[in-house]
Amino acid sequence: MAGINNFLRRLLSGLILFVFVLNGTATDVSLAQKANEKVAQKKKIEHWSFKAPQTPAIPKAKNKSWVRNPIDAFVLARLENEKIKPSPEADRVTLIRRLSFDLLGLPPTLDEVAAFINDKRKDAYEQLVDRLLSSPHFGERWGRHWLDLARYADSDGYEKDSPRPYAWLYRNWVIDAVNRDLPFDQFTLEQLAGDLFPDATEEQKKATGFHRNTLTNKEGGVDQEEFRNKAVVDRVNTTGSTWLGLTVGCAECHSHKYDPISQREYYQLFAFFNSTDEKDIPAPQPEELGKYKADKKVWDEEHAKLVEPLDTYIKNEIPAKQAEWETSGKLTAVRWTVLESKLASSANGATLKTQTNKSILATDKSPATDTYTVEVEADLKNVTGFRLEILDDKDPAKGPGRAKDGNFILSEFSVKVREPGNERAAQPIPLQNPSADFSQKNWSVTAAIDGDPKTGWAIIPETNQFHVAVFETRKPMNFVPGTKLIFTLDHQYGTEHTIAHFRLSATSSPQPVEASLLSDEIVTIWETPSDQRTEKQKEELARYFREEVDPEARKLNQPVQEHSKKEPKFPETKAQTLAENDKPRKTTIHIRGDFLRPGDEVQPATLAVLPPLQPRTAKPDRLDLARWIMDPANPLTARVAVNHIWNHLLGRGFVATLNDFGTRGEKPSHPELLDWLAITFMSPANSQSSTLPPPQTPARPRRNEVKAGNSQLSCDWSRKEMIKLMVTSATYRQSSKNRPGLLERDPNNVLLARQSRFRLEAENVRDIYLAASGLLNPAIGGPSIRPPLPADIAALGYANGVKWKESDGAEKYRRGMYIFFQRTVPYPMLMTFDAPDSNVTCTRRERSNTPLQALTLLNDPVFFECAQALGRRVAAEPGANDGRIKRAFELCLSREPTKAEMKRLLKLYRDELQLVQARPESAAKIIGEKDDQQNDATEKATLVALSRVIMNLDEFVTRD
Amino acid sequence: MKNDFDLREVIKMTRRDFLASSASGIGTLAFASLLAQEGLLAAETKKTASTNGPLSVKAPHFAPKAKNCIFFYMEGAPSQMDLFDPKPKLNELSGQKLPDSMLEKVRFAFIQKEGARLMGSPRKFQKYGQCGMDLSDLLPHISTCVDDIAWIRSMHTDQFNHHPGQLMMQCGSPVFGRPTMGAWMTYGLGSESQNLPGYVVLTAGRGTSGGASLWSSGFLPSTHAGVLFRNQGDPVLNLSNPPGITPEMQHYGLDALNDLNKLRHKQVGDPEIASRIAAYELAFRMQTAAPELMDLSGESKETIEAYGINRKEPDIKADRGGGPGQFKAFATNCLLARRLVERGVRFVNIFHASWDHHSNLNPELTHNCLMADQPIAALLKDLKQRGLLDSTLVVWGSEFGRTPLGENRAGREANTGRDHHPFAFSLWMAGGGVKGGQIIGETDDIGWNIVKDPIHINDLHATILHLFGIEHTNLIYRFSGRDFRLTDVAGEVVQKLLA
Repeated sequence: MAGINNFLRRLLSGLILFVFVLNGTATDVSLAQKANEKVAQKKKIEHWSFKAPQTPAIPKAKNKSWVRNPIDAFVLARLENEKIKPSPEADRVTLIRRLSFDLLGLPPTLDEVAAFINDKRKDAYEQLVDRLLSSPHFGERWGRHWLDLARYADSDGYEKDSPRPYAWLYRNWVIDAVNRDLPFDQFTLEQLAGDLFPDATEEQKKATGFHRNTLTNKEGGVDQEEFRNKAVVDRVNTTGSTWLGLTVGCAECHSHKYDPISQREYYQLFAFFNSTDEKDIPAPQPEELGKYKADKKVWDEEHAKLVEPLDTYIKNEIPAKQAEWETSGKLTAVRWTVLESKLASSANGATLKTQTNKSILATDKSPATDTYTVEVEADLKNVTGFRLEILDDKDPAKGPGRAKDGNFILSEFSVKVREPGNERAAQPIPLQNPSADFSQKNWSVTAAIDGDPKTGWAIIPETNQFHVAVFETRKPMNFVPGTKLIFTLDHQYGTEHTIAHFRLSATSSPQPVEASLLSDEIVTIWETPSDQRTEKQKEELARYFREEVDPEARKLNQPVQEHSKKEPKFPETKAQTLAENDKPRKTTIHIRGDFLRPGDEVQPATLAVLPPLQPRTAKPDRLDLARWIMDPANPLTARVAVNHIWNHLLGRGFVATLNDFGTRGEKPSHPELLDWLAITFMSPANSQSSTLPPPQTPARPRRNEVKAGNSQLSCDWSRKEMIKLMVTSATYRQSSKNRPGLLERDPNNVLLARQSRFRLEAENVRDIYLAASGLLNPAIGGPSIRPPLPADIAALGYANGVKWKESDGAEKYRRGMYIFFQRTVPYPMLMTFDAPDSNVTCTRRERSNTPLQALTLLNDPVFFECAQALGRRVAAEPGANDGRIKRAFELCLSREPTKAEMKRLLKLYRDELQLVQARPESAAKIIGEKDDQQNDATEKATLVALSRVIMNLDEFVTRD
Repeated sequence: MKNDFDLREVIKMTRRDFLASSASGIGTLAFASLLAQEGLLAAETKKTASTNGPLSVKAPHFAPKAKNCIFFYMEGAPSQMDLFDPKPKLNELSGQKLPDSMLEKVRFAFIQKEGARLMGSPRKFQKYGQCGMDLSDLLPHISTCVDDIAWIRSMHTDQFNHHPGQLMMQCGSPVFGRPTMGAWMTYGLGSESQNLPGYVVLTAGRGTSGGASLWSSGFLPSTHAGVLFRNQGDPVLNLSNPPGITPEMQHYGLDALNDLNKLRHKQVGDPEIASRIAAYELAFRMQTAAPELMDLSGESKETIEAYGINRKEPDIKADRGGGPGQFKAFATNCLLARRLVERGVRFVNIFHASWDHHSNLNPELTHNCLMADQPIAALLKDLKQRGLLDSTLVVWGSEFGRTPLGENRAGREANTGRDHHPFAFSLWMAGGGVKGGQIIGETDDIGWNIVKDPIHINDLHATILHLFGIEHTNLIYRFSGRDFRLTDVAGEVVQKLLA
């Protein structure tokens, strides 16, 4: 038992440790140790980030003329202390490129650059900032930052990694919320608890998609409860790191080693999310809904016309005819006992599930050939036959077989009996006189018991219908209790000619027993005296009479039935949301983080080191948690949020460990400035100057707790206003060039004596290529797209389960943030450029610089296509080639080349032209278009080659 | 490797800590400074580590035995009792139930506890070599190498579903976002190859449960992620120039690109530009080196035959062993592994999927072994003959093992497969400082539990790092407020495995 023992030993040692940690009072802990712990605990609690920010005095810097707003005063005071001068303001080209990348993730057009350079207004810069902040692309850029935290992806993750076709609805919500500058407190409340708002709107529910981006494991044989718990853990950890900048996840298995977060507190936070269920709500898009309503109206009108004669007939003629049928008609009444299977299996990997009506449904994998084995317990006497019902799918495009045309071929049908006590040997039951309600030509039901797997029973052209086959036993059979019947349905034809949905029954009615479409319910009703029938039964019998028996009604009914199949379907689009379970789950501590090892029960509560929770009712819920997070008294939230924003604009947070404001995190580089910004971010608008809408719901926390100083600016949680404050500072506007000596002095630019210079993020690398080439499709929002991807890359997904159907037309040229994110096979270009893997929240992206990036930009067909488009774009311009080269350069870099650069480019042009002229047949390939004039093809090809080089310049993929 | 524009020179020229500049982050710095603090880096290597790129060679903590690793990952969990761990008693008890007490607290993926029965093995076992290792008749070639191999019958893990189990084996933890073994290895030791990535992935068969997460760099910079070498099209994605662009054009283009980037570097003084120039240089060298690597025309006829690259493969049902063509793909990958190691690639991860035999175990396993046995044995002999085995660690394993119980998934008449078994499974290692010709660990009579020398995956990883001269508790990376290791919070070096 060593395997298990060892496993237990590990768990046990954890348990002992856990008990030790939990009861700091255990007798063997000496007093000295206790004292030490107290000191450590006090240190933890007194950590700077757990104390509320205080409005700092704005420092008085010497070089007053440099200071544009209070941010600069803080930065400059520090620099003056260190005797370092700030950098001069960057030139206007750099400024507009920097702002465009930072605010939109796109380069400016040449017209925009020219307009800005020539804008003589004093506030030209502020005007530019306002224009960019109101661009709809702003929501894409800052929405994408948020999606990193939200670990957004378009698939489930884990082995099966099924697509989430409507995940993008949440992405749309984010883009829209950022664009309309939904205040950060409201933005938070809706995402954490939008479903709990009084009269929550569909949009507010969609916002809860934030926590629907957790992984789902559909691997065969998983314990669903285990992975539900994992999702809750992820929700707790992500909430902690996104809003509080705390590594609460460290307290999942034991109390946090460095921060004042006990394991008990961890599970108190867990309790807020533990009764939350995943709920997909109908969320038809306006255009879908419009189309549906229009189609439905047309259909309703057509349908009414068809129904009318039938209704008239039913009203006028049916009652008499039915009465006559009931007195004189006959119903062959074979009585069937439906058999219920607890064990049904597929030999080749389909999933067979028993439904509530005891039928068996085959789903998931659809193998070419398959053998179903169904085992039932039989306690039956005098069995004379078995019935196989083939149930049709509601969707007219499917079934009842799994082949593309809806057919199936039942090669062989057999039954074996295994008597109790003789469990290993099963005896076949001989069958005879098979019958079916319908058989396809040359595919009679008799072939299903002829022992030849090459023949079988099929049903073309009567697909989309219910069918029945019946097999008699050679002699009546008696089965003692405990006997098992084993049915085998063999499908050997191939090409998925298998049955999708079926049910098995047995009868003791005297032979002959034959296939009939008559349902068991009708037989029961028929045999019930008419005065004892319920209303429902009466209606059922009437329906049976007019749909199955009366020829005239059937004739009139047929077009109605046909038309019913064409009824427009309500749009399938569903939003992933959270919803509270009516029956709250009990939450306990998980010992060592193991969900199978419950400890003490806990109730929802927050961290003791932070201000107290103020629940709305006696039972705190997620909305209370969200309000607690956004309570201005919370010392962390605003600091963490402004630190994120600063990180995106300056390349580094004041606290470089963006997700760790705890005792192990880095100390803030400018603590007063951080606090000043945090208070400014929270401060309510005190004048009409605010452009923000008034507080939108009563759920918004009280905001009178922020005490703003006299000169305090206020953002009232407006992201746009905070960004505007930051980007209009002199600090932000500095040149990013490295001055002599500065690099050694401050390699990481902590002191902010210059701007930072960094490579664009993965999605934006794609965006600038598309923009410069003119190929970009700037459409905003909507479903994800799939750019070209080699088939063998998609095949890395489990068992070829990942389907990557390339997007068509202009969809191919959408921005990088819309690329379908398949978790187990992420789009290689995104990963090569450090996009997050979306399995866990990502607060800070790496910015690596690798040969694979070089290969991607040089050779990836998507990027080469951009170079081709750019080359052709400039080739089409009039004038000489140096003008064209200059133009390509400007389109990429928004500036003219220097003399030295131009000289080098012209040399390259001459060299490459010679090479192309030596092999003129290669020109067309390089240009990528066939219909080109041969005479200027070599020059055009050379311009493509040149464009490719310009697009690989460091400057092109860099934000200066 | 002297090019007209040398990588090292460029980087030195910048006089700035490349690690910091390439934004590979706080964590990397933490590592370098931590090692320095604890005196784990010799004075010169400290200098190298702080002035060169993230993949430059770094000195290990102590003298290593292994320099390279070839890790065979047989995805899906091969059946140990049909290959490495014969159980005569299990054959005897075949068809019987296990006592309820044994099943009480066990979770299975598919087995229905009620009615589950033991299933013997149809395979024939025989003892081989000095060490007397019993191997199944499915491994006639590997059986000729037994004395070079350390056979472990006592592996165990904490996970019993594929994807979490695979993360456990690759990353030491079933949680997403952790770096894989290969990523840790290149992070800790760098890469000795000037022209190829330090961590290469080769695949055959169908897609694995874990997909690309099985060679992810996790929270480490993407520089450390495994690079997939493909068996169709370009060996590395986007390796070839676009249509019509000749090598000469590429050469001229890159020359101009470097010149222009250098001009920009003069203007703005950002060392990151120097790194970019170096990255393009390495990319250019890879364009030559990767096709040269894949070109087997220089290999002798004997070598090609020994690996069985052009063997005829049996006619099979459509999806067995990943479908037709896998014999060639897998054998080629084995030969490529040797060529990669010869070229200084640190970590080669060979995947084949799938060995997840819930049904039809015997024919499926027979097929997979027919595919894998010969080329793996050929690789071991080839490495040995070339004197590479001493410095190359070869590991063969998977995420867990299979149950002694037959899988009685709903209504199936006969048990033809086995379910997931995390409590005891087999794995083997050879070369790279491993003491071959020994059998480590024992399982009980039916192979359910370990009775001797249990080895957890964390222990395996600790041992592998030890062979590379790394003290596993000191290879760490600060992320999310915590120091992370490949061995998570456990792991002990298995002394018996060391030569």
